[in-house]
Amino acid sequence: MQVTTVKESQLKLKPVKSTSPWALARRKFLRNKLAMASLLFLIIVAILSFLAPYLTTQDIARINIGEMSLAPSGEHWLGTDKSGRDVFTRLLYGGRISLIVGISCTLLVILMGTVIGAMAGYFGGIIDSMLMRFTDFVLTFPFTVFVIVLNAVFFGKLNGLLVLILVISFLSWGSVARIVRSKILAEKENEYIMAAISIGCSPFKVIVKHLLPNVLSTIIVQGTILFATMIVVESGLSYLGFGVPAEIPSWGNMLSSANEPDVLQSKPWIWIPPALAITFTILAINFVGEGLKDALNPRSRR
Amino acid sequence: MSNLVHKEASLLEVKNLETAFSIDGAYYNAVDKVSFSIKPGQIVGVVGESGCGKSVLSLSIMQLLPKGNGEIRSGEITFEGVQLNQLSDTEMNRIRGRDISMIFQEPMTSLNPVFTIGYQLQEVLFNHMKISKGDARQKSIALLKSVGISRPEKLVDEYPHQLSGGMRQRVMIAMAIACQPKLLIADEPTTALDVTVQAQILELLKTIQEVNDMSIILITHDLGVIAEMCDEVLVMYAGRIIERSDAESLFYKPMHPYTELLLGAIPKMDEEAGMLSSIEGMVPSLKNMPETGCRFALRCPKVKPECSAVTPLLEEVEEGHSVSCILYETSMPRKGVKP
Ligand SMILES: Nc1ncnc2c1ncn2[C@@H]1O[C@H](COP(=O)(O)OP(=O)(O)O)[C@@H](O)[C@H]1O
Ligand SMILES: [Mg+2]
Repeated sequence: MQVTTVKESQLKLKPVKSTSPWALARRKFLRNKLAMASLLFLIIVAILSFLAPYLTTQDIARINIGEMSLAPSGEHWLGTDKSGRDVFTRLLYGGRISLIVGISCTLLVILMGTVIGAMAGYFGGIIDSMLMRFTDFVLTFPFTVFVIVLNAVFFGKLNGLLVLILVISFLSWGSVARIVRSKILAEKENEYIMAAISIGCSPFKVIVKHLLPNVLSTIIVQGTILFATMIVVESGLSYLGFGVPAEIPSWGNMLSSANEPDVLQSKPWIWIPPALAITFTILAINFVGEGLKDALNPRSRR
Repeated sequence: MSNLVHKEASLLEVKNLETAFSIDGAYYNAVDKVSFSIKPGQIVGVVGESGCGKSVLSLSIMQLLPKGNGEIRSGEITFEGVQLNQLSDTEMNRIRGRDISMIFQEPMTSLNPVFTIGYQLQEVLFNHMKISKGDARQKSIALLKSVGISRPEKLVDEYPHQLSGGMRQRVMIAMAIACQPKLLIADEPTTALDVTVQAQILELLKTIQEVNDMSIILITHDLGVIAEMCDEVLVMYAGRIIERSDAESLFYKPMHPYTELLLGAIPKMDEEAGMLSSIEGMVPSLKNMPETGCRFALRCPKVKPECSAVTPLLEEVEEGHSVSCILYETSMPRKGVKP
């Protein structure tokens, strides 16, 4: 009795910290300087990109013959491209497209992969083998070829950006499904899952309330990796001319002007900004991902 | 079992239960033709070494066998007139946690690490009752109090990793009794705990049983636990019930050589004295079960040549005391249990 009263009075002196696993992870993440700096960088990039219409007055699409390939100056901070469009303006708008494609693809891929992986892992048996057969089938699609063909088929018929997001997502959820499935398989062996069923929880409840929170850390970490990958995929496809429609600026589209030897060699202001934007964004995402992984790992707690 | 007992209303009746696991495409019975029944308010002990099928028996009753691997191959499990092994998963979910509850062996892993104690207690209530959030919280505090937790208002908001094993097992018990089930299955509830905590938990189970007037299936490999707690005892070996009796006569007059060994009544033949109650050898694995005859024959100190040829039946040898061993078949008038 004595011991507990002492402890309780001590607790009252200190601010009482929540000991929920999420609170512990959050505290750990907040202490990670590199991850926090990276997160700050990403937030700034996102704000600049999404506020682009308010930050610049330049028209992104209008071709300006009189101002072609100008070097950086007071009027055009990062110069202009071969069509006379302001590079800084296009960089901000491009960031918006790259981030939108990256975020939408990541969310769609996580959603599809988690639903399919969780069902396969939890129910097992024939449901598992059918879903995994389907997953293998999708994983064996030749990705680039498929994107190029589909883009050609739907060109002009549908919103090019939407088609791109759906196609990339549909071809990419396989690996997430596999990871989630294997995590669920391991996690469902835990006695608390049996205990949850034994108090009358339905399979839906068991998956959503008991299994998913315990594999959420894996999903979050996977999400950051995907986010970085999706930005690269978008840039790569756009660079090749099969991604975001050419009239919409994206970092990948901007990079594709470096195809020309003249631009590559003597007009670096046209391609270096998008190249740096992609590189730093991906680096920052990876640092945030590492920080999350570290914070969410129960073994490294405290 | 005598016909007399059959006529009394039993809460749970298990008849000729065969639960099998598929290994490399073939089925092997982990529970083999098990029959018994429990009356309301009774505590029935199930005892046997590790690997005898005690957990598989309890999972069969709860319909919690691993899907795709374990399967009830034949037999009936009847609870209050309803045959559980015929129910759909949805129907069974209404019974689990409300009418039949279960406590597991490992209190350290039976609670979900990402939820508070209160959340997990309230989940049982929400699963089976129409109850407001505030009432559920009050009720979960009351439940924690009823299992002997001293500061329940604080504990409801704590996470499992902040509690000791004994405390967690108390929480598990609180969850199990939340809806006042009629039957509680406790699968080695104290095996993972310290000796002093063990006694407290057993005491608690006994008290709750008396207050709520529920029945308990108490699974253990510790005969000491049986002696203190149980009205009736089933001794299991390799998936079969080899002896059943009231607790008292089992201790005063064990019949099956296996039970005798479990009780430590027979000194071992080799010289490592002191460990009287441990039995030489191991329970055979499912694939290595003897096909005919008594499954204990390989390890039995009183083995006879015919033991591995004749499969003994569980027969009532004395009033309320049945045994499955040929040593008793010849000397006693036959009162076989019909399968
Ligand atoms: N999921 C499973 N798959 C295959 N065999 C199993 C499974 N669960 C239990 N068994 C087997 O069933 C037998 C009985 O196990 P169990 O009921 O856990 O024993 P215990 O009496 O110690 O609780 C053992 O031989 C065990 O190997
Ligand atoms: Mg067991």
